[in-house]
Amino acid sequence: MSKKNILILLAVLTILGGYLGIRMYNKPHVNVAESDPDLVLFSQTLLDDFESDEISANEKYLEQIIQVTGKIQKLGTANGNGTITLTNGTSIGSVICHLSEKENKKMVSLREGQEIMVKGICTGYLMDVILINCVLVN
Amino acid sequence: MGLAHGQEKYITKQGYISFFSHSPVEDIKADNNQVLSIIDTSSGQIAVSLLIQSFIFEKSLMQEHFNENYMESHKYPKAVFKGKIQDLGDLTADNKKVSITGELTIRGITKPIETTAEIKKMDDSIILNGDFLVEVKDYNIKIPSIVANNIAKTIKVSFELVHQPYN
Repeated sequence: MSKKNILILLAVLTILGGYLGIRMYNKPHVNVAESDPDLVLFSQTLLDDFESDEISANEKYLEQIIQVTGKIQKLGTANGNGTITLTNGTSIGSVICHLSEKENKKMVSLREGQEIMVKGICTGYLMDVILINCVLVN
Repeated sequence: MGLAHGQEKYITKQGYISFFSHSPVEDIKADNNQVLSIIDTSSGQIAVSLLIQSFIFEKSLMQEHFNENYMESHKYPKAVFKGKIQDLGDLTADNKKVSITGELTIRGITKPIETTAEIKKMDDSIILNGDFLVEVKDYNIKIPSIVANNIAKTIKVSFELVHQPYN
């Protein structure tokens, strides 16, 4: 290989490496709306799992995209984004779904007592199970 | 009695806590809008807990490194503060400066902490605002030398907690 070809090869590799580096640095956040859920279950099952054994529930659910079906107990907002509290009414705890910014406009169509399906990322359990970046599933 | 006791407790499940790291290379910020905080106004006791994975970064790669490498959030999913607001007294709609002492647990390591904050009562809400500094080394957080210049040794933590009556 001539010196010129080696230089061209090096230049191409550098540009490619730089491009991949920048792409990785700017890697987008997980798009929940376009991702298939890792787990599909009732909100109550999710809550029961955390209430009975938080450590194993963390192993199973943390950072996973979870789709839950549950009854709306309360609709609210947190720092401008909609929140949906799902519960069956008998537990003290609940599953709190924090909607992604794009989903906010769908809040107006929701009513307390309605049964819905929500998909989001589980970040853990405080008094309630928390799902963030949530989208409504039709 | 039970009712009176209940009215002394205030809670938020959607408190805001952010942290900020300044370095010559870059500024890094992350926000958490799912903070749980409970204040008992009769004793001044306060308990705050949050989920590490609820911190949102602008760059998902940073969020990934933060969770997997630095905070090990699968192993230590929460940070918890338990403490006391000193001389809480009567609250008004005007901000009042208070000192807070307590213990902060991050990555299973508990350290004493002392800070000042502003507190006020608007309508039915008790609003607590402030910030404090956390030394990265206090919590045994290991930053690889390759990014040591990108991440500050001291992180500023800011909080804004709007509590409602707990019933």
